[in-house]
Amino acid sequence: MSNRFVDQGLRAPVNVTWEVTLLCNLRCRHCLSSSGVAAPHELTTAEALDLVEQFAKAGVFQINFGGGEPFMRPDFLQILDACHERGIMTCISTNGTLLNRPMVERLAKSRLVAIQVSMDGVDRKSCDLLRGDGTYETALRAVDILAKSPIPTSINTVLTAANAADIPELHALARSLGVSLRVSRFRPSGRGAENWEELRPTPRQLLDFSNWLAESGDVRTGDSFFSLTSQERQGLGLNLCGAAKLTCCVGPEGNFFPCAFLQQEDFLAGSIRQQSFQQIWDESPMYASFRRLRIHSCEECQRFDQCHGGCPAVAWHLKGRIDGGDPECLEKCVTMAEA
Amino acid sequence: MHRACRVRKERFGLLFYDSRGPRLLFAETGDLLEPGFFTGELSVNGTLDKLTEAEQRKVTGLLSNLAKKGFIREQQIC
Repeated sequence: MSNRFVDQGLRAPVNVTWEVTLLCNLRCRHCLSSSGVAAPHELTTAEALDLVEQFAKAGVFQINFGGGEPFMRPDFLQILDACHERGIMTCISTNGTLLNRPMVERLAKSRLVAIQVSMDGVDRKSCDLLRGDGTYETALRAVDILAKSPIPTSINTVLTAANAADIPELHALARSLGVSLRVSRFRPSGRGAENWEELRPTPRQLLDFSNWLAESGDVRTGDSFFSLTSQERQGLGLNLCGAAKLTCCVGPEGNFFPCAFLQQEDFLAGSIRQQSFQQIWDESPMYASFRRLRIHSCEECQRFDQCHGGCPAVAWHLKGRIDGGDPECLEKCVTMAEA
Repeated sequence: MHRACRVRKERFGLLFYDSRGPRLLFAETGDLLEPGFFTGELSVNGTLDKLTEAEQRKVTGLLSNLAKKGFIREQQIC
């Protein structure tokens, strides 16, 4: 893709990640936002609906709902309906526990929703180890119901040391169910930070995954593995961090951040309770600093044109600075694996 | 326009989004076209009639590129 237009600055993000609640009925060990209990001052229904209106006015194409478990929020369907009435496409990341046939039929009517069901292992043992007892069966049942509906569905797996070997089998499972597989990157955020050393994939696992990914064109990764993907795969996704340029994140209390992995006070771009969304997007000094961000320490690398320094969030969580270069990029994995 | 696609105005022209990829297409059309041209809110013929021949060629090139990439679909209008 051309960066020239992105560098000029877009009028609005292409998509927004919206963590609508921190409330969750699971306690996954790698959860990026340490979900469980609702945040103290989550947006009211009226505030959430007003935010949808602001996104529509700005021209946001898609909202990716996450949390927490979005379906735990009593007014979640109302928020979804408001998006769809305005032509905004939605993608819901869910643990699948609250999905049943009537709910799926209700969701399918909009034709504007896609669903990702989290499943982090190819069998009960490996999945439940990360997500809790019974989660494998529950997720599988949800995927089975969704696969019989017109809703575009994927199994979403976070790559960890515990499940790295399962990924090809998960791919086969997804295919057999008639859905796609989406693999996300494990980042040391939330409970993921607490369990980072145990669950982080080894450089060898990341290299193996990178090679497998190059041969598996139908596996989706969003842009989360752009620091690991081969040149041939680049056409499927972006080759740079889109935070504050193509995307942004809003938390359950209406605070805006560059991305879901940097929801710390240090990266607060603004609050919808104090400013409009358009003001935050156009005027936030935090977003401006991300748009100017250049990873100079990586510029001499032969892969710089492919990853532009990788994920600033991982760099910040592991090295304390966003401009330090991704510590898990392909070049470093090769060096570390050889060592 | 395909139901999975959207378009909006940007400073450089038009930004197309295809949620199936997802994919983006940046069309450097300046003020030549409005999103309504693609969403049915503006008359296609009315818009084209106001353009010079060179501009019409540019639009034709864009349309064929969008059709090739699946953002829009050709359909008979009579």
